[in-house]
Order: sequence, then C-alpha cells, then structure tokens
Amino acid sequence: MGGAVMAGVMAWLREQNPTSRAQARAGQWFLGWLRLKRNPLAMVGLAIIVVLLVVAAFAPQLAPHDPIAQNLRERLLPPLTDGHLLGTDDFGRDILTRILYGARITLYIVALVTVTAPVVGLMIGTVAGYFGGWVDEVLMRTTDIFLAFPRLILALALVAVLGPGIENAVLAIALTAWPPYARVARAETLTVRNSDYIAAVRLQGAGAARIIWGHVVPMCLPSVIIRVTLDMAGVILTAAGLGFLGLGAQPPLSEWGLMISAGRKYLFEQWWVATMPGLAIFIVALGFNLLGDGLRDVLDPRSAGK
Amino acid sequence: MIGVRGLSVTFQSKGREVRAVEDVSLSVAKGESFGLVGESGSGKSTILRAICGLAPVTAGEIEIGGAPVPTPRGKGFAERVQMVFQDPYASLHPRHTIDRTLSEPLAIHAVGDTDQRVMQALADVGLPTSFRFRYPHQLSGGQRQRVAIARALMLQPQVLLLDEPTSALDASVQAETLNLLSRLRDERGLTFLMVSHDLAVIDHMCDRVLVMQHGRAVEEMSRADLAAARMKTDYARSLFEASADRMLG
Repeated sequence: MGGAVMAGVMAWLREQNPTSRAQARAGQWFLGWLRLKRNPLAMVGLAIIVVLLVVAAFAPQLAPHDPIAQNLRERLLPPLTDGHLLGTDDFGRDILTRILYGARITLYIVALVTVTAPVVGLMIGTVAGYFGGWVDEVLMRTTDIFLAFPRLILALALVAVLGPGIENAVLAIALTAWPPYARVARAETLTVRNSDYIAAVRLQGAGAARIIWGHVVPMCLPSVIIRVTLDMAGVILTAAGLGFLGLGAQPPLSEWGLMISAGRKYLFEQWWVATMPGLAIFIVALGFNLLGDGLRDVLDPRSAGK
Repeated sequence: MIGVRGLSVTFQSKGREVRAVEDVSLSVAKGESFGLVGESGSGKSTILRAICGLAPVTAGEIEIGGAPVPTPRGKGFAERVQMVFQDPYASLHPRHTIDRTLSEPLAIHAVGDTDQRVMQALADVGLPTSFRFRYPHQLSGGQRQRVAIARALMLQPQVLLLDEPTSALDASVQAETLNLLSRLRDERGLTFLMVSHDLAVIDHMCDRVLVMQHGRAVEEMSRADLAAARMKTDYARSLFEASADRMLG
C-alpha cells in the first residue's frame, strides 16, 4: 500500500510532461535532490542541520534539566557524571541542556539573518547590475564602503549604539553581511542582462521591475543561496563572537558564544565548560559548509540543465 | 509597413566608435517578406535590433505602419512588432517553463484567457500541448525555436523580425521551421523582415532582398533577379555563387 503510493509519487515527480507548474517545479526539485543525494558529504551536512532543527524544535522534551535553574552544589561537574552527560557549568546548570536550548537561539539568529541580508543584497545587486550607469556607481560604491569595514568591528559599533541583545546582534550582522550578496547578484546580473531572453521580454513591453524580479532574480538566486549556506558558518561565529564579548544574547540565555565566554575562566581546570558549546558551534558551522558545497554542485547555473 | 530611412547605428566601445550600420534605407510593404543578407558583421542583425530599440539609433528614421516609432518602444510597439532571435538555446529563459514563457506577454499586456491562448499557441506552431510545462532544456533546438516563434506571436503582431531564425538548427529542422514560418505568414498576413547570411534561405522566404556589406547597403534585388542571377555588383554575385548549388535544388 505504502509502496504503491510511493511509486505513484515517484512517477509523478519523474513525469516528462508535467500537467501543472507545480508539478514541473516539484520535478525539478526532485532532480536536484537526486543530484544532492549522490554527494555523501552534503548529506552529512544536511543531516547535521536536520538534527539542529529537530533539537531546536523539541528542546524542552529532549533536555534532561532546566537550562536556567542554578544548583551550586553540583557546579563544575565533569562530563559523564551521573545525570550530567556533558557536565555542569559554574552555576551547576547542565551543559547538555543549555546546548540544546542554545540551538534555538542559534537557529533564530541564522533564520533572521537569512531573511534579511541576502534579500537586501539581492535587490541592491540586481538593480545595480540591471540599470548600470550612475545607479550602479552609487549602489556599488556604497557596497564597497560597507565591505571596507571589518565585519565584527562594524557589528560591535552598531551593538554599542543600539544596546546589547539578540535582535540588535542580528541587525548588526545583517547590516554587515549584505555587501557580498550584492556583489554576487550584480555579477550574475551582468552576465544575463544582455542575453536574448531578457531582450525578448523587454521587447514584449515588460517594465524594469518585472524583468528584474521575474527574469533576473531567478538566475541570481542559486549563487546567492550557495553563498548564504557557506556564510552561515561565519554568521554563527559572529553571533557567538558578539555573545562572547557580552554584546549579543544576555545571561541567563544559553547562547553558545556566551557559554564559551563564561567557561573561559575555567579553561584550564574545567575544560568542558567552554569546550562543549565550542564543539556545538564547530559541528553546526561544518554542517552548513558541507551542505553549501553540495548545493553548489546542484544549483550552479553553469551545471544546471545539462 | 516598415520604413527605414538613412539609418545609422554607431556603438561606443572604450572611446572607439564602431559604425555598425551606415545610411541604410529600406521599405517593406504590408504582407511582404523582405530579406537582409550579408556576411557576419555586415550590420544586418543590428538593423533589426535598432528597429526594436535594442541598439542605439544615431541617425535616420524608423516608421512602423506609417508612424515613427516612439523611444522607448513601449507596449504599443510590442503589440505590433515582435522578433525571433537567432539562437533558440539563448532566447528562452532557462528557469521558466514553456507555459511561463508563453504566458508572460499575456501577463504584461493584461490579456486574459491565458490557458486557452497558450494551448492554442502551442498547437499553432505544431508542438504537442503536453510540452506545456516542460523546461527549455527538455526540448530540442527545433522545438525551442518553435516555442520562440509561438512567443513572438502571442500578442498577435503584424510584423515579425526574424534574426537568422534557422542558422542554429540542422538542415532538416531548418526546412521545417521555414515552412512553419511561411504557413503562419500566409494564415495571419504577417510582414516579415528576415536576416540571413544564406541566400538559399532568403530565396525560399523573401520577395525582395537587400545585400549588405560592412554596414552599408550594396544592392537591392527582387526574387526574380535572384533566380535569374541578375546581380549588378560583384559582392552580390560572390554571395550568390557561394549558395547557388543549394538554391537550385
């Protein structure tokens, strides 16, 4: 029964002559998925991110303890202690629990940055590339100015002005992360804007907004998506860095960077306090990087359609 | 229908001026097919692009239906004049389905009845309607060019500009595509302005032909002149001789 349904779905996805736009699109996604599946490292990356999603969604159910409740009698217990798989921190809070809850904050930051910086970058880059001339000059010189600032320093300055907190940290990261996307989008736009299919739609009387949104952006999207997944590691590290400096998430929130910062004092005697959240950052950053590399092979416009 | 007088197109490239077209005049009557022939770089495609507003007009006048064309060309122009590009591999958006490509002009001009019009357009160019939601990479070159022709006809223009519509296709598909174009012209009373480097194609399609070289008009001939090999200039004769064997066949 289940097998028959599965076979039906597969046949629907593989249909040479789809009967609707949705089916055509689903079929393309399915082909992309098959190509991604052939890359074992990308699948490892995907698995890490799926685990992160699950952990973030079910943190209260998965976590053995309360992430905030302090218990000074059990402070700084080493890993593999009974009831505390990864040990406890200086306030006696279970590190595993705090890492599980921290996944939520990490994911929150990643999600917010993903829906802001690439969108802004994509808009600025495509508009600059499509119109050229003085529009291009103004937008790209602005981009250059933002690029010229060291990212963490600019984020620091913004947080210092706006005050510490996750939302302000995200805003600071987003404001410093968009210029590379604008560059990528502009480069892609320059390669497609003189193509015949753009000329054809212009000849049909389409306005600039329709051409940019409907025809140029789909060609830029793959490069930007690849760039986003590869940058996610950097975003997580910047967020952790801001947390470490006390300018991101505030105690007692269990943000990973903040946890490392708290464990710094005990780095030599109680190494696990800083190491465990560090490992979490390392694994998630690695996951995004592996997935990004795999997506590059699937989404690259130069390899698609062949 | 189409009137071009004293057209010049000059491209600025790194401070150098490239004169692609110099002082070319031609006129095409309604329902007529007019050919532009010449070797690569003779400026024939540039004339089409200048008419469409895709190349800068530095001097001269362009009229469609007796009225000068506006700049920018705008939607009214799009409803009267459309173009079919040379390379069907480059002229269809690689991430849009055939359906999207064909319904886009309808969306731009707020024409309703999309489903029925798209199906009809596919049928008109001899493509099965089951191809509607395919992507361009799932089609052959000839099928793609049919889609491009269908797209050009979506707004029911009176004038079709054809920029070497068959030069990227193999010989058998070329003939099919040319026959399709002839059929559509007869059915809809279209006016063709066609560019080719191949006199055999021009001979098959056009009533009159203008031979071009280095951006200038060399000689205008009727089909009868062409068939009887009555060329006045040496350049036209050499072009004729290069493709004569295929024309007689």
